[in-house]
Order: sequence, then structure tokens, then C-alpha cells
Amino acid sequence: MLEVEKVNAAGGLAGRQIEMVIRDSKGQPQEAARIARELVNTDGCEMLLDGEASSGSFAVHEVARDLGVLCIHTCSEASSLTADPKQHIPNAFRCVRQGIHDSIVGAGYAAGIAKAKSLKKWATCSPDYAYGRDTTGEFVLYLKKFAPDVEIISESWPKLFQPDYTEVVTKILQAKPQALYSCLWGGDLTSYIDQANIYAMFNQMEVFAVNMADYTALTVVKNLPKGIHSGDRYIKTFPPTPENAAWGDAYRAKYNEYPTNWSWQNATAVMFLNEAVKKVNSTDGKKVAEALTGLTIKCPFGADGTVTMRADDHTLVGYAIGWGTTIPQEPYVPDVKAGDWKTIFELEAEWKKSKGYT
Amino acid sequence: MTELQAGQGAQPLKVPRIDARPQRYRDVLIALAAFVLLALLPMVFGSKQLLDFVIRCAAYGLFATSLNLLVGYTGLISFGHGMFFGLGAYGFGLMMQKTGVPIPVAFVATLAMTFVVAVVIGAICVRLKEIYFAFVTLAFQMLVHSTILSWQSLTGGDQGLRGGIPRPPFLGIDLSNHLHLYITSCALLVIGLFLMRQIAQSPFGYTLRMIRDNATRASFIGIDVWRAKLTIFVLAALFAAAGGIIMALFVSGAYPEFAYWTISGEGIFINMLGGVTTFLGPMVGTVLLLILNDTVTRLTEYHGIVLGIVILFFAIGLRKGLMDFVVEWYGHRRGEGRG
Repeated sequence: MLEVEKVNAAGGLAGRQIEMVIRDSKGQPQEAARIARELVNTDGCEMLLDGEASSGSFAVHEVARDLGVLCIHTCSEASSLTADPKQHIPNAFRCVRQGIHDSIVGAGYAAGIAKAKSLKKWATCSPDYAYGRDTTGEFVLYLKKFAPDVEIISESWPKLFQPDYTEVVTKILQAKPQALYSCLWGGDLTSYIDQANIYAMFNQMEVFAVNMADYTALTVVKNLPKGIHSGDRYIKTFPPTPENAAWGDAYRAKYNEYPTNWSWQNATAVMFLNEAVKKVNSTDGKKVAEALTGLTIKCPFGADGTVTMRADDHTLVGYAIGWGTTIPQEPYVPDVKAGDWKTIFELEAEWKKSKGYT
Repeated sequence: MTELQAGQGAQPLKVPRIDARPQRYRDVLIALAAFVLLALLPMVFGSKQLLDFVIRCAAYGLFATSLNLLVGYTGLISFGHGMFFGLGAYGFGLMMQKTGVPIPVAFVATLAMTFVVAVVIGAICVRLKEIYFAFVTLAFQMLVHSTILSWQSLTGGDQGLRGGIPRPPFLGIDLSNHLHLYITSCALLVIGLFLMRQIAQSPFGYTLRMIRDNATRASFIGIDVWRAKLTIFVLAALFAAAGGIIMALFVSGAYPEFAYWTISGEGIFINMLGGVTTFLGPMVGTVLLLILNDTVTRLTEYHGIVLGIVILFFAIGLRKGLMDFVVEWYGHRRGEGRG
């Protein structure tokens, strides 16, 4: 909304003010499909910003395929949404970070620490659904590639939104790993950390939690342990640029809370739309979609100050991605080591081939 | 048992069988009229939203009415009926994606597959009564749901069937055309309701009512209760699967949520809203629920609270579904008029 207001204040999209029509699908794909159709057919929306997770995003994608409306996904991190050529349609884009990118960067970072500290015995603990299993599988694959000595001695798959993690925590403690990887997120991650804290788990092993460095998780955990390794979700100190810091502050001033990972993704989507419309001087969905394909824009969340909507699979690349360790107070993750996009591209291409996508 | 139910149960004794035929003609006429009315709707109102609404009504209506064959007519409270809705959606979607057979073939094959699954599950479930039946159906539903989630290579796991469902034209009908899909859904709804009505009004339908009211007595007069229950369980599953197929066509995909217990819960809720003692109760409930859902989610993000209050109103306030209430009220008025 912050970005929408900016665009509107600057004259709108090709002279037209953006009007947001916001609907809630209750997390049901059939509702997501219905609402997306209604937004286009009845409310006359010309562009869809799809904030659905997992199956809902695939349902909205099918509506975009049916109706030909311009659609930008801003939430689903499932790589198959854009990597799978069956999914490819000219009018849909994904402006979201991706599990495969996080896994490659995370594994590279973790392998460095594993080698330095000689961490050979690893455990994993991730939610039991596609995102959890895929992301963990990819992380382990690349971790072993970068640090072949690593061995996984314990795996836990708690259910999504499970309230009690005692059995998981004790299982991991009994296995006595030297390091733990987890892609739990949001409320699951914070309850897990609060419960694991009781057992002083974080003193006994190195913990790599890819989704920790998001303000929604950082600010909720009661006693944030020092030294958890995490990927950046959204941190206003990474990328360490004045533009990013200013954006984070502006968001906080307006909403009285920190931005989340979803905030920067949606903001970037609006920035992309704005630039694409400027380029073709039209709000026609087809023309804007053509302009979006392969478009590079200046963006506070870019690794080098820019982000790109990659032409061949319509997905966001070049965003700031890195890993660091936590401290219990601001800035929470003081030193984030940036991932290298060249390596990401190489390994991502290999991964796509192995999945039969290319 | 209400007086109304007792009244219905006693009907076949009073009505000679020879009268059943005119009633069937009447049903055919009503079905045809309903179909013509629905088919004319797009010419009167151009709204695509309305067409979407009717398509969803067709999917949920078939599902809820088939559930009422179990709940209202046979007294089998199934908490797992949604599994057949999901099976229909997945069976049809997979068939179209993997084999590329014509749509009618995939439709029939999906029903055949549902038939087999329903016979196996039903054979186990209908031996049980009341709460045990309810819970075993729920358990099977969770089994089906878990299978869909974990059989990723086939079903796509929690991301659902990806890549859209191909809808090649057949006999001049192109289901990727919104209007064609609408007309086809209406036809399926009307045919489905007509068939279910015939089942409900047949001697077999009255046998079911008898089993509901007193299974022991039914058994004593020589009715094979188990077989009758299994038959209606399987028939209801087929109509639920047809509902699932319509939904799969509407969203051009199938998602694990279609086989989750919440779908069964919605079915029960629809039956509570519309009423279980009249044939069209669940259809009225479907329309009510979808209107409620569509307007409430538009107006507030606290839709759960609003829907909860509506349930409370029906459960505590009316103590019956809307159609039950209307029929009873109409009956009273007629009674008073005569008196």
C-alpha cells in the first residue's frame, strides 16, 4: 500500500489512479479461484496481486491462464510455480524469493561454518508439507555437495501449525547432532524456539533456521538466543543501503510495525508494475506483461540495487539474499553475508535439469 | 423423529404404486423447466459472477443433496463424505491430464473408480452405527487426504494438480468456454437432482426411511439392511464425485482441500441450513451458504464469527433447517385454513 500510494501521488499508472480491491480466500483454493474470477469479471480489476500460499497460488494461476489477466504472485515460494514449464503462461509472474535460491545460498554458508567448526553430524527439523520437505531436501543436497563430510543423523517432520514440539526437541537432543537445520517459519518457528529454549538446545548445537531473520519471528520470540544462523527474510540492514533503511523506517512510521518478507515482495511487485507501465505508457495487461518480461528495475531490495524479472521463467532474481547470525536486540542480524547470484544461477540451472524442467 | 418424518414414512402405505408414474412425469417436467430456466439465465443477466455462482451451486448442491440421502433419508451421519468429492475432482483431473481421453469417458471412468472405492470403504463403514459410523468415515477421509498429500509424484502433494486440466471439445461442447461449462454444470445438476429424487421416492427410498426409523424392524420384515445401506452409500458417493468433477472443471485443478474434512463439514452445515426432511432442503442450504459466504467475505475478514452466529441461529433458534421450517409453517397454515 505504501508503494501504491507513492505511485498514485506521482500521477498513477499511465495517468490512472490505482484502486486496490482486497479479498480474503480463507486459505481455500476453490475460494481463491472464485474470488480471483470475481475480481476480474465483476469488480473489473485489470491486474491481480496474488498473495496466496501453496495450493491457492496454483488456483489463482489457473484463473490467470483462463482469463488472460495480468497476475503477479507475491507470496508462494514453491519453485515449481514458475520453474515447471507446464505452469508457464505469458501473463503471470512471480515476485517472490524462492526455496531453491535460499537452499543454495544457505548450504554454501552452512558448509563454510561446517568446515571451519568441523560440524559433521547434522539433524533436520522442518514442517511436514511440500515446502518443508523440498527446501530441506535441497539444502541437504547442496550442503553435502559443498561439505561432503556432513552426515544427517536425525530427521524430524512436525506437522504444520503443531502446538507442542517437546517430542521433536527431545528426539533431536537425544541424537546429539552438532548442527541443526530447520525451515520452520512464522508462529511454528517461534513456538519451537520458545520450547527448545527450555531444554537449552541452542547452547548444544549450531542452529541454522532459514526463516528466522524476519521481524515477525525475531520480535515475537521471548528470549531470542544469540547465534542462530538465518537467511534474510526482510531486514532493514540488509542490503546495507540507505534506500533499504529508509524504506524500512517509512514502513514502520506508517504502520507502527516492521515490514515482513511479504512486504518487500509486494512492494517490489508494485515497483515492477509501475516501471513496466511507464515503459509502454499503457495499462493494457498484454503490453505490460511484455514489458515486464526480462525487465530490470532499481529497487532497494536488490543485491546490487536492482532486481530483474527473468525472461525465461517470469520469476524474480537478483534480490538481496544472504545469511548471518542473530543477536537478541536490534539490529537482530548485524552481519549478513551476501550470497553470490552467479553460483545460484549455475546450481539452479543444474537443479532445473535434474527435475526435468529444462 | 418428528411428526413430519413419521408422516412421510407412512406415505407409501396410503399411496398406491400406480400413482408413482404421474409423479415421475411431474418430476421430469419440473426438471426440464428448471433446466430451461437456468439455461435462459445468461440471456437475461450478463453477469459472469452469477454464472460462476450457479456452477459452484451445482458442485456443492450435488454434493450436499447426496449427503442428505445418507443423513436425512437413511440416518447415516457421514463425516467423511467429502472424500468422494475430492476423489471425483482428482480422478477426473488426473484422467484428463495423464490419458487425454475425451471428457465423457473421463467422467464415466471417474464414476467407475469412485464406485469401486465407495464399495470397499462402504462395506467396512455401514456395519457400524451412529457415532462409530461417523468416525470411521472421518478416518477414511483423513486417509484419502493423507494419501493425496504424500503421493506427490501423482497428485502434486499439497500444491494440487498443476498445469491446468485440459478440456478438449466434444460433441460441439467446449468446456473451456464459460457459457458451455455453465450449461453443462446446470445439466449435470438437474440430472443429478432428478435421479436422486427418483431414488428417494422409489420403494428403495422408503426402505431407507424405514431403516432410519427402525433398522431392527426393517431387518425383521426381511430387508437386508447392510446391503441397502451399502447401496445408498455407494450411490451417494457417485453423486458427490460428480459434484467434485464440476468443481475441478471450475477451478481447472484439484487441491487436497477438496478431500479435507472441512468439505464434509460444509456439507453437514449446508444440510443443517437447508433442512434434511425435504428433498430440496440441501439445495436451498447450498444457495444460502454460498450467498452468505460470498457476501460475508466481501464485507468482513471475521467471516468465521458471522457464519458461526448463523449456525447458532439455525441450531438453537429454529432448531431445524430453513426448508423444514417453511414446510412445517405452510403445513400449519393449511391446517388452520381447513380448521
